[in-house]
Amino acid sequence: MNERVKKGILFDNSILTGNGSVNYKALYDNFKNYSQIALIQIINNTGSEIVNKIADKLREGSIDQLIIAGNKPGFISGNFIQPMLDAGKSVHDIKLVSFQEYGLLSESDTAMAQALVECAIKGVSFEAAAMQRDSEMISDTLVIGGGITGIQAALEMADGHVKVYLVEKSGTIGGKMATFDKTFPTLDCAACILTPKMVEVNQHPNIELLTYSEVLDVWGVPGNYWVTVKKKARRVNLATCIGCGTCAEKCPATAPSEFDAGTCLRKAIYIPFPQAVPNKYLIDENACIYLKTGKCRACVKACPVPDCINLDEMDETVKMNVGNIIVATGFKPFDAARMPQFGYGKLPNVVTALEFERLLNAAGSTGGNIHTRSQDKKGNWVFTTETKKPDRLAIIHCVGSRDENHNKYCSRVCCMYSLKFAHLVREKLPDAEVFEFYIDMRAFGKGYEEFYNRISREGIQMIRGKTASVEPSGEALRLRGEDIEHRRLLDVEVDMVVLATGLEPSEDADILSRILGLKRSPDGWFMAMNSNTDPTGTSFGGIYIAGVCQGPKDIPDSVAQGSAAAAKVIQNVIRGKVSVGFENLTPETVLNKANELAIIT
Amino acid sequence: MNNRVNPDLPKELKEFGIRDWNECYHCGTCTAICPLTSQGVLFPRKEIRLMQMGLKDHLSTCVEPWLCYYCGECSEKCPRNANPGELMMSLRRYLTSIYDWTGLSKKFYTSKVWELAFIIFFAILVVLAFLFVLPPLDPTLTADGGVKVNSFAPVRIVEIFDWTMAFIVAGLLVSNILRMYYRVVWMGTPNGVGILVHIREFWQLIFNFVVQPKFSKCDDKSYWLYHWLLMSGYTIMFILIVVFLPWFQTEKIYPAWHLQRWLGYYATIGLLIGLTAAIIGRLKKQQVKFQFSHVSDWLFLAMLTLTVITGILIHIFRINGMPLATYVCYIAHMAILVPMILIEVPFSKWSHLAYRPFAVYFARLQKSAIQQTV
Repeated sequence: MNERVKKGILFDNSILTGNGSVNYKALYDNFKNYSQIALIQIINNTGSEIVNKIADKLREGSIDQLIIAGNKPGFISGNFIQPMLDAGKSVHDIKLVSFQEYGLLSESDTAMAQALVECAIKGVSFEAAAMQRDSEMISDTLVIGGGITGIQAALEMADGHVKVYLVEKSGTIGGKMATFDKTFPTLDCAACILTPKMVEVNQHPNIELLTYSEVLDVWGVPGNYWVTVKKKARRVNLATCIGCGTCAEKCPATAPSEFDAGTCLRKAIYIPFPQAVPNKYLIDENACIYLKTGKCRACVKACPVPDCINLDEMDETVKMNVGNIIVATGFKPFDAARMPQFGYGKLPNVVTALEFERLLNAAGSTGGNIHTRSQDKKGNWVFTTETKKPDRLAIIHCVGSRDENHNKYCSRVCCMYSLKFAHLVREKLPDAEVFEFYIDMRAFGKGYEEFYNRISREGIQMIRGKTASVEPSGEALRLRGEDIEHRRLLDVEVDMVVLATGLEPSEDADILSRILGLKRSPDGWFMAMNSNTDPTGTSFGGIYIAGVCQGPKDIPDSVAQGSAAAAKVIQNVIRGKVSVGFENLTPETVLNKANELAIIT
Repeated sequence: MNNRVNPDLPKELKEFGIRDWNECYHCGTCTAICPLTSQGVLFPRKEIRLMQMGLKDHLSTCVEPWLCYYCGECSEKCPRNANPGELMMSLRRYLTSIYDWTGLSKKFYTSKVWELAFIIFFAILVVLAFLFVLPPLDPTLTADGGVKVNSFAPVRIVEIFDWTMAFIVAGLLVSNILRMYYRVVWMGTPNGVGILVHIREFWQLIFNFVVQPKFSKCDDKSYWLYHWLLMSGYTIMFILIVVFLPWFQTEKIYPAWHLQRWLGYYATIGLLIGLTAAIIGRLKKQQVKFQFSHVSDWLFLAMLTLTVITGILIHIFRINGMPLATYVCYIAHMAILVPMILIEVPFSKWSHLAYRPFAVYFARLQKSAIQQTV
C-alpha cells in the first residue's frame, strides 16, 4: 500500500435509520491518527456550509482519495465529485462505504464498521475480506410454518430435489389463507388456489410433513443444524385413520372451531376443515371429556379401525439434521378487544375480519350466507342460518394498525380485504347498505387501485373518517364518526360491524426468535438482512425468513418471498456449501484477511 | 376574512405550549368521541386542520376551543398521540392573547419574567401602600376584644380601591369580549345575526355561567362538582369583598351562626375543595387533562391557594384577638390578591370565567344564523 497517497474520510451521520447508528465519534477518534489520513470529518447535517468547506479543501488537491462512510453515503457523495474532478482526480477516487448495506446499524456494530472503513482505506473489498470459509452443508431443509408461504417454499425446494421437513403447529397446513373465501383483487377462490398445493405437499416424496408439531430447540452451525421438534399427541394414528368421521359423530364434547375463528363449534375429536391436509382426525386435549375425567371413550368405541385412536398417547420429540431453515410463521390478527370503544367481545354482532371471512365462505358455518350472531341453547354465541340477515353493515378500517397506542405500522392488507368484503356483501345481499369507514385508502399493489375504483362504483358508502365508537342501540349497533369530506357528524345504525383488524407477529415469534437468535425490529416482526437487497436473509447463514413473519404482506408478496427463500436454499444446495452469515464474523478476522489481501495486491 | 396562509403561525403557536400538531392524520376519532360535539359544531380536528394549514385568521374566529372542557377522551383515543385535548387547552391561551388588545396577555403567557415581574411589582406597591399611605398599625384591641381592622385598613378606602380595581378589570374584560364577539360572530358568521336572536339566546349566557352544564357532560362528573364549588365559592367571596365590604370586614366578631360567617366559611371550603382536587390532579397526572401543566396553570393555583390560606389566617388571628399577626396576614393577603386579580382575570387563565359562557352564547348565535340560511 502506498503510504504517500493522502486520503480523506467523511463520516456521514446525517441519515438516521430509526434503529440507532454506529458510534461515529469512536470511529473518528480511531482513524484521526492514521498517517495517510489528511482529512477527517463527521458530517452531522448536510448544510451547505460544511459541504462547501470540504469541497474547497478537495479543490486544493491535497486529498488523493476520498472515503465517504455512512448509512447512505451516496446521498452526499454528489457534492464532492466536481471538486475532486477540479483537483484533477477521478470519480473513482471517491469510495463509498455503506454501513446499512451490511446491517451495521447499532452502537454494538461499531467495531465491524471500523473494519469496514479499514478495508476501504487499505483498498481491499470488504466482501473479499469478510468472505469466510463456507461451511459444509447438509442439503435437508426445515420449513417452519405451513401457511401459503411455507407451502410455496417447501414445494419449490422439493421440486428441486431437496428433502424438506415442513413443521406446522396446527392440525392442518394451509394457514390463514385456507380460511379465506376470495382473494383480492381478482376475487379468485382462495381454496381453489391453495388446496391443490396442500395436497401436493402431502403427496410429494421429498416433503416430510409434521403437522401438530412445534420446534423446540435448534443448535449447531450454519449448514448443520440439529432441530428438536415436539410432535404433540394427536391421539389418532395418522397412518391408519381413514377420515370417516364416525368418531366425531359420537363425540359428546364441543369447543369453538379454531379454523372458523370461533364462529361455530366443532367436536373434541375433529378435522380442522373438510379439505385439511393431512385429512385425518385429531383430539383437542382441552375439550376431550376422557382426558379431563377419565370416562367417555365414545370415539374409541365408534372407530371402525382397530387401535386407530389411542387416547393415552403422549407427546414425543423427534430430532432432525438440516442444513437450512426457512421461517414462515406468519401472523396473528390483532385482538380487537384491546380497543374497547368498538365493543368487540361484548356486542355479538361486532366481528373481526377473520370471523367475517368464515361467514362469507361457502364452507363456513352459515354456508356463505351472512347472518347475525345468536346464542345457542348452551349459551355459546355462534352463527347459524336461522337468524336475520343484516340490512346495514359497516366496516371499520385500521383497527389496531396505524395507531400509536397499539401498532404503529400499516398492516397493508386491511384496506383491500375490506373492499373485498364490501363487494362480497353486495353480491350476497344486494339490498344491504355497506359503509366503509376509512382513514386513507391504501391500494398499493398491482390492480389494487383499479379494484378500489371498481368497488367504489358499486354503491358502497365510502366515508373518510374512522369511527370513534360502537354502542348498542336496541338490536342494532350505533356508530359515531366524523365524515371528514362532508364536514358532518355521522350517527349510523347498522346490524353488523366488521372490524378490519390488523396483523401482529404470531405468538411463536417470541419463542422462535430466542431459539434461532433472530433479530426483530421494534414493531416485533423479524428483521431481514436488508429489506432492499436481501429480504429473506438473516444474520445467520442458512436461516431465512419469508412471508408475513417479516412484516405484513398480501398473498402475492408472501408467495414471492417463499420462492425467494427457496431460491436461497437451492443456491446453497447447488454449491454444497453455506456461507457463514455476518453474525459469526468478528472484526479481527476481517482485518486479518484484509491485511493478507492488501499485501497480495 | 383573510384566507392567506401564515407560515409564521407554527412559531407563534409554539410559544403557547402547543406541541406538534403535524402528528394528526385526520381520522376524525377526536371529533366523533367528544361528548360535546354536535352537528355543525365540530372540534378539535377542525382547529388542528387550521393550524396545519396556517390559517391564522380562521383560527382566531374559532369559538370551539372554549366549548371544550378537556375531559381528555380525544387524547386517550387519538391513534397518533397528537393530544388534541392539550392542543385545545393551548389554543385557549392563544385565543386569550388574541382577544386581548393590550398585548400583555401574550407577554404573560410566553414570558415567565414578565409575569413574575408584574406580580412582584404590584405586590411591593401594595405593601408600600400599607406601610406608608394607610394609617399606622394599631396593636391595641377594641373594648370588646376585637382587632381594630377598620382603623388599620379603613373600610371606605379599601372599598374605593376594590371598586376601582373591579372597574379596571371589568373594563378590560368587556373590551376583550367585544373583540371576541367581533371575531367570532361578526367575522365568523357569514350572514350576520339578528338582534332578536341575540335576545332570545341571552339566557344561555346566564345559565352557562351559573350551572356550567357543558362541563357536566364530560365523563367524570366529580370534576364538574369540584369546579362548581370553586367557582361558586370564589364568586360569593368576590361579591362579599367588593359589594358588601362594610358588612363583611367588621371589628365586631359575630357569633358562629351569623350569615356573614356562614357565607365566608362556604366560600372558603368551596375554594379549598376545588383547589385540592386541581392540585392533586396536576401532581398525580393520571388524567390527560392534568398531564401537561403550563407555568400559568401552576402560578394561578399557587396564588389562589396562598390567597385562601392568608384569608383563613386573617380570620383565625382576628377572632383570637391577635392584632399584629392579623395585620401581617392582611398585607400578605392583599399583596397576593391584587396582582392575581390584575393578571389572571383580564389577561390570563381566569379570563375563561367570561369567555366560556360567552362562547356558548356566541356559538348559539352562530348556529341559529346558519340554520336561518339553510
